[in-house]
Order: sequence, then structure tokens, then C-alpha cells
Amino acid sequence: MSLEPILFAMFGGTAIGCAVGVVFHRNPVHCALLLVGVLLSLSGLFVLLHAPFVAALQIIVYAGAIMVLFLFVVMLLNVKGESPLLTPGAAKGFGILFALIVFIELLGTVLPRSGDSSRLPDAVLPEGFGSPAAIGRILYTVWLFPFEITSILLLVAVVGAVVLAKRKFA
Amino acid sequence: MDTATLIEAAIKVHIVLGFILLGVPLIVWMERKVIGHMQDRIGPERVGPFGLLQTIADGIKLFMKEDIIPSQADKVVFVLAPALTVITALVATAVIPWGDTVQLFGRTIGLHITDVNIALLFVLGTTSMGVYGIVLGGWASNSKYPLLGGLRSSAQMISYELAQGIALVGVIMMTGTLSLAEIGRAQAHMWFIVPQFLGFLIYLTAGIAETNRAPFDLPEAETELVAGFHTEFSSMKFAFYFLGEYANMMVVSGVAITVFLGAWNGPLLPGPVWFLIKLTAFLFFYVWLRATFPRLRYDQLMAFGWKVLLPLSLLNLVGTAVVLAIRGG
Repeated sequence: MSLEPILFAMFGGTAIGCAVGVVFHRNPVHCALLLVGVLLSLSGLFVLLHAPFVAALQIIVYAGAIMVLFLFVVMLLNVKGESPLLTPGAAKGFGILFALIVFIELLGTVLPRSGDSSRLPDAVLPEGFGSPAAIGRILYTVWLFPFEITSILLLVAVVGAVVLAKRKFA
Repeated sequence: MDTATLIEAAIKVHIVLGFILLGVPLIVWMERKVIGHMQDRIGPERVGPFGLLQTIADGIKLFMKEDIIPSQADKVVFVLAPALTVITALVATAVIPWGDTVQLFGRTIGLHITDVNIALLFVLGTTSMGVYGIVLGGWASNSKYPLLGGLRSSAQMISYELAQGIALVGVIMMTGTLSLAEIGRAQAHMWFIVPQFLGFLIYLTAGIAETNRAPFDLPEAETELVAGFHTEFSSMKFAFYFLGEYANMMVVSGVAITVFLGAWNGPLLPGPVWFLIKLTAFLFFYVWLRATFPRLRYDQLMAFGWKVLLPLSLLNLVGTAVVLAIRGG
């Protein structure tokens, strides 16, 4: 028996469990930690999908940097987790509505294929798929324009953050 | 994946873990002994020959101590935090090679637990996860000094991670690989410390800051923060933080050796022996630093990281790229 289905169930199950925890936990720090758990399990799934480079970036960028800053802010603000579990009223309705729409859309993409999945041939991965070299090549040839646009966008965000932080509020 | 591969992996994991868990008491002993002599003292000498068993005795003492969890602490996170520190440090050792391949029972066995094509990123990822152990320990204690220590350390580690990662890129560009075993093999004739001296200095400085060692041990600056993030931790939880710190030192040293100091390459002696010699020398250097330098002030530390180390590492990156482009590499 192959190890992959077991690992998939492990990572997938952890991801879902942690994601549910993020929504239902009251303590914001616990929520942030569970979100880290989701990110880590996703990175495990990326490895199973033969994308180790993406998995490593997921950990370094999201779990290792962004979430630490998240925690930083939550701890400094000392947010008390005493607000009601779900926001009442219109916001709640919209949330459920959007969740339903996303769920149905996902179902639509998954269902038609699951029927004859046994007859699908195993996907043949091109040579060096998911390796840093392959991703680098495709990033700097096919996706060069979006890549550069993203970097400009990030630069604008950085400049904006500095301007906001330096402004003197009279 | 056949059974032989699994057995091979299991044996290698046990060797590495055993080496680290046995190595940590030895390093602690070396640290106390060396600092003792540097300060004109003798250091531990009562337990065992040359005081060798002193750390074991201390370990047993810590194990027997009462395990205190503060009543206002967040219990789950409080228990989780020290474990995180140790786990992240131990996981990172999986990709550090301590020798080239050997032929055994008709199999070619690489002397590393695993050789993935993203090994360097893997190490950077696990060390960045190591921040959680400290920042959560500080927060979960629900007390002033640990919180300040934890926040300081997270700011420090995030700042120095950047320079640390960028310092390694120079070598990655020269070898064209992220695999540590490949980088090690590429240094058979010349160590990368020669062409990448600036990169080595940056990595070294950032690595010491990453492991919270003197002169960058601000998270636990005792004159201002009692014991920083681990003030409230006692017994084995404290021992875990201790263990994690020293295991992290070994990881940082191991990466520095593999990337800059010729990995396992050396004349006459076999690879693992050379690796061990270099590791010991590097750890001695760590101890030496602690005995020599006073602690930095917090604003100096942040200014140094962002205004000196980071620009220098970027300069190193651009310089390496220009040279490689000129030589048509």
C-alpha cells in the first residue's frame, strides 16, 4: 500500500480541523496559531503534489513571517476574545451566503470528474516539475509581466506604509 | 518506497538525533569549561573526570524539579511552546549532510537523512518556525518580562532572517542548486568562504542573532528582563528551551560549515570526521564570542540588522551576480 493516501488524509484532515478551529475559537492568539497549522498542512499537501518549492515558500513567507507579525499585533493589542462567536445580523447572512456559493462552485468542479476518476490516466509530470529551476524559468519567461507588476505593487505598498508611519498627526 | 530505504532512513534519523541529544550536554560542558578558563576560573570539575558528567547531573536535577505552570498562564500554549523550539531545531538537521556517499551492503548511502532539492529553503523555513517557540512562550506566561522578551526576540529574529537568507543566495548562484549535498560536493577544491567572504560574515552574524546567543542575547537580557521569555519556565520545560537553543546552534553551525567552510571536505581524514572537527571549532567560536563581547543595546541591534547587515547582503548579492555575468557563468 502506498504511503500517499495516508499522508494526504493526515495533512488534509489537519488542515480542515485547524480551519474549523480558526473560525470557532474565541482566543485570537489560538486562532492565529490554528491558522499556522492550516498553512503547515497545506505545505504538506504541496509536497504531495510534487511542488516542494511552493511548499517551502509557503512555510517561509506565510507561516514564518506574515503569521509572526499577525501574532505580534494580536499580542500587543491584547485583544480580549469575549466578543460573540458569530457576528449577528446582516454580516452573518452574507457570510453564510458567500460560503454556500463557494461551496457549490467547488462541488461543481469536483463532482463531474469524481465519477470516472478510476479511468483517468496517471498524470505524467514533465522533467524537473516543481523544482526551483523550473519555477524560476517559467516565472521569468511566461509570467514575466505579472511578476514584475507584482513587485511594483509591493513597492508601492512599502512606500505607502512608510509614508503613513512617518506622517505627523497634528 | 521499499523496506530497505525505510530501514536506512530510520537508522540515519536515530544516528543524527542521538548525536545531537548526546552532543548538547557536551557543548554545555565545553561552554562552561572554556568560559571558566577564559575568566581565569576552573569551571566544573567535581562530577566525573574533568567535570564531564556535570551537565548530566544538571539534567537529572532539572528533571526532578517541580514543574510549575503559572495559574494565569495559557496552559496549552505554555506546554506547546518549549516543544516547538526543540522540534523545529531537530527537524532542520534532516537535510544537513555530514559526509559524501558510502558503499554499504551493495547500496549507495548518502551521509545525510535526506537530500531534497530545496534543502536550504527547508532549513530557513524551519528556523523561521523556531520564532514561535519563543514568542509563544513569552505570551503564554502571561507576565510582563516574558512578553517583552518574546516580542523582542520575534522582532530580532525576523529582522536577521532576511540578511541570513540573502547571504546564502550568493553561494546558491555560484552552484546553481539549493541542495546542501550538492553545495558540499562543489567545494572539493575551494571552500566558498574564499569567494563569498562577505556572505560568510553576514551569515555568521545573522546566525548568532537567530540563535539568541551573546552578543545578541537580548531576548533574555537578565539586567532588564529577568530571564526574558523563559522566566516562568521551570523543570523540563526550561530544559527544553536550553536544548532547543543548543540544537539550533548546531544547525546554524552545520549550515555554515556546509555552505561556506567546505562541508565534509578535507585532506586525509574521512568526511564525517572533518565535519565533526569543523563543528567543534565552530561551537568553540560561539563560546569564545560569548566570553568576549558585551551585549548590544536593543536599538543598536535593530539598526545594525536593518541598516548594515541587510544592505551589505544585498550588495554581496549584486556583486556576485555581476561577477558571474562577466565570467559568463
